[in-house]
Amino acid sequence: MAAARADTLQSVELADGVEIQLRVAGVAVRSMAYMIDLLIRIAIDIGMSILMFWLLSGVLGPQVTMGLFLLFIFIMEWFYNVIFEVGAKGATPGQRIFKLRVMSLTGGPVTLAQAVMRNFLRVVDFMPFFYLTGIVCMLFTKRFQRLGDLVANTVVTYVELPHVVTAQTQIQAERRAPSQVLTREEQAALLQFIERAPLWADERRLELASLAHPLTNAPGTEGLRRLCGMALWLQDPEERRPMPPPLKGAATPRS
Amino acid sequence: MTPAQFEKQIEPRWQKLEKLLTEAEKAHPTAAVDELPATFRQVCHDLSVAQHRMSPQRLTQQLNALALRAYRVLERHSAGGWEAFVRLFFVEFPQAVRAEWRLFWWCTALFYLPAVLIAAITPAHPEWAMALLGPEGMVQIESMYGEASKPSDFVRESYGSGFAAFCFYIWNNVSINFKTFAGGILGGVGSLFVLLFNSLFLGAVFGYVHYSGNPMTLYAWVVAHGAPEITGMIIAAMAGMRVGWSVLRPGRLERRAALVLAGRKALPLLIGAAILTSLAAVLEGFWSPLDLPLSIKFASGGMCWVFLTVFLLFSGRRSGDAA
Repeated sequence: MAAARADTLQSVELADGVEIQLRVAGVAVRSMAYMIDLLIRIAIDIGMSILMFWLLSGVLGPQVTMGLFLLFIFIMEWFYNVIFEVGAKGATPGQRIFKLRVMSLTGGPVTLAQAVMRNFLRVVDFMPFFYLTGIVCMLFTKRFQRLGDLVANTVVTYVELPHVVTAQTQIQAERRAPSQVLTREEQAALLQFIERAPLWADERRLELASLAHPLTNAPGTEGLRRLCGMALWLQDPEERRPMPPPLKGAATPRS
Repeated sequence: MTPAQFEKQIEPRWQKLEKLLTEAEKAHPTAAVDELPATFRQVCHDLSVAQHRMSPQRLTQQLNALALRAYRVLERHSAGGWEAFVRLFFVEFPQAVRAEWRLFWWCTALFYLPAVLIAAITPAHPEWAMALLGPEGMVQIESMYGEASKPSDFVRESYGSGFAAFCFYIWNNVSINFKTFAGGILGGVGSLFVLLFNSLFLGAVFGYVHYSGNPMTLYAWVVAHGAPEITGMIIAAMAGMRVGWSVLRPGRLERRAALVLAGRKALPLLIGAAILTSLAAVLEGFWSPLDLPLSIKFASGGMCWVFLTVFLLFSGRRSGDAA
């Protein structure tokens, strides 16, 4: 279904050959997740410094405590994201709040190597200040990848695809064969139209149906009725009358 | 087959997959999960058919989510634990260095030549080294390698204990390794900059100590930990250059694919470099401050260089170590 996309769904092919849709996450939501992680990290760092200098300083002396604290900071700075991303959820606490996770572009979970790669390159994505390089890079790649993502072959996605609202009622119309052979994209458009039409106001349905005037050859309500009829015809092969002879390369009728 | 019939036909399959997945995602799954791969493949097939038949979005999205969830379960891999880590350092790391030997020698030359150059001209033109070190650097050098001072006293004064110094070196030097590598993605410029900067600075230190201090204390101080530290820095820069080179010259690959491939090749280099630098931190924190006779210092330091060279040349060459 290759229409010009207004959503952020991206296909990847799994090793088993099936194509899977991922909903990639954009700059805004990832920035917010990052800010939350930053706050969590700062809180942990401050908490740890108070704890260490309060409890350990008397026992080990201030300099050894400082050393231990530096080691802790080192691990937090470089491995906070890595540890969470290779975990079962594949996401840092900040990302989990926004229902995001890091995935390999193969569709699987990130490996340790990938997590290390994408997070160590944050240094460059951060340059010259506040992830400017990373943001620009994300805006210019179709899967919103920053430099670290590109090298590690990873992508940040929403855990769930957008919720599909399904209509309770169904449109009734007399089935009719389309007046001409439809391409797959056109068939898909019709099928989605009939699926979603019950959710719209009458005016919206009419407005969209009038776009299909060349196909329905009728204005207004009559056009809508014919369009729905054709969509139902595509949807349900019962009572199907023979289609016009298919053109070369056009979709064949379904069995 | 009508869409409704199709939906009815595939329903038991995806419900079964859902049940198996819930089972498999537990800590101790039962034997029933053996059926997971086959069921997963069936549902993948159903998804393909549903996509082809332009089934309602509700159905395709549901199958899509299930397939993705199953794939994550099937592709879940353990990192391999300590065994993999040991193998990474002792086998893959030296192999990676040898595989990129040209790059290694380029980076080595880029580090040592400017350092030697600036050290050599310092006795005649000390202003270059002085400009690089700055007044603070010169004061520090005086207090470490001056006629009447010892570096171990300076370190004891600054950090208090060997352990604190060790922690500081890890935090500072290993971070610099990682940053050196990261800078490499900018066409290698970042790595090159760090490499040259460190080279000039180190050359200035050596030159300045020859000019105004006691070079023997300096050499005795750095000879042991210098081996892993300098080599670690060179290899971290090398890892960065490897990635940067793939941006500049992807060869026959698409630039994006070249980048991913270079990242994979650079990782053992980076991890190896970080481990070398950590070893250097151990030596610099605990061994170098010991007040031992110069002969022992130089003998042990020389051993460090020999060990490292032998390690990089020969480790991971057994037939079982083939990548």
